[in-house]
Amino acid sequence: MKQTLPPVPESAEKWEIQLRKGSLELAILAVLWEAPLYGLEILRNLEASAGLVVVEGTVYPLLSRLRALGLVDSQWVESDSGHPRKYYRLTDAGRDRALEMSRIWARFSASMSNLLGPLTQPAVQPLSRKRS
Amino acid sequence: MTLSAESQKSIDSYLAALRKQLHELMDEDARDIVEEIHAHILDKTSSDPSPDSIQATLTALGSPEKLALRYRTDELLQRAQLSRSPALGLRSILRWATLSFVGLLVFVISVFGYCVGGILVMAALLKAAFPRHAGLNITHDANTWGVGFGAGSGPATGHDPFGLWLIPICLIIGGGILLLTFHFGGWSLRTFWRPRARATAVQLDLL
Repeated sequence: MKQTLPPVPESAEKWEIQLRKGSLELAILAVLWEAPLYGLEILRNLEASAGLVVVEGTVYPLLSRLRALGLVDSQWVESDSGHPRKYYRLTDAGRDRALEMSRIWARFSASMSNLLGPLTQPAVQPLSRKRS
Repeated sequence: MTLSAESQKSIDSYLAALRKQLHELMDEDARDIVEEIHAHILDKTSSDPSPDSIQATLTALGSPEKLALRYRTDELLQRAQLSRSPALGLRSILRWATLSFVGLLVFVISVFGYCVGGILVMAALLKAAFPRHAGLNITHDANTWGVGFGAGSGPATGHDPFGLWLIPICLIIGGGILLLTFHFGGWSLRTFWRPRARATAVQLDLL
């Protein structure tokens, strides 16, 4: 008789990765809000401002997609380092999208914080710790 | 910045593999991607151009296969998005039409479909708004027919065989033609559009 294995619960780390991936687009639009930046600057800003350590191979295809969607545009600029750099800046559509997404984020975040309020009380502990 | 021969070889080999993996993209897009990744590697290792640092940077980027796959996946997503937007789809087909015969054919069929569908839907709306002055009028004398719209009085020499039934008939047929044309455009883009085959780098609206 064929036995079916119980589903393995997804780890919190995996969930966090998905959450970070999902918010990466907004994070990129946000770091470009002030000034045009090139790829490595975007990565460093994400890390410095939001603690988002992004896999380098993820951010460039995403920038390419944002450009294709008309949310950012890009320009090669000669630099002192001896090689040109591709700078990205927000388009008007990108600014609108960033504002819209940040509003949605704020709303969502507030409602989740509401929901999670009881879980974040200091007295609440994971069940596994209680058992031990 | 001076790179050792070994480092330069690693970079060249990585970029060549990436370029190869991007063969499905437009030549200009692929070249642009490779140049950007090259610039990233140089920026990242500018303070420490040692072979170890270069290798760490290449590892952080992921294998050329994986990196190219991310770009290709994004392009597929863009194509899917194109297929959800009639206006963007049509504009992209227009650009495509300037580059190949197939594109031109798809564009002509799409324009024809949208025009016919649009006219039929418009006819339904006009019939609803002006039931006596709009409709399919068959003339008795010349045995010809046509869709007549106007602000004048009703047709004196012809008759309207459908009457108010023209509204649902035109809405269903016109709407069907519009829908078919829309799906035909999306299907054609997904099936026949080959960016690599394009002689010049003209970007599609969403690409």
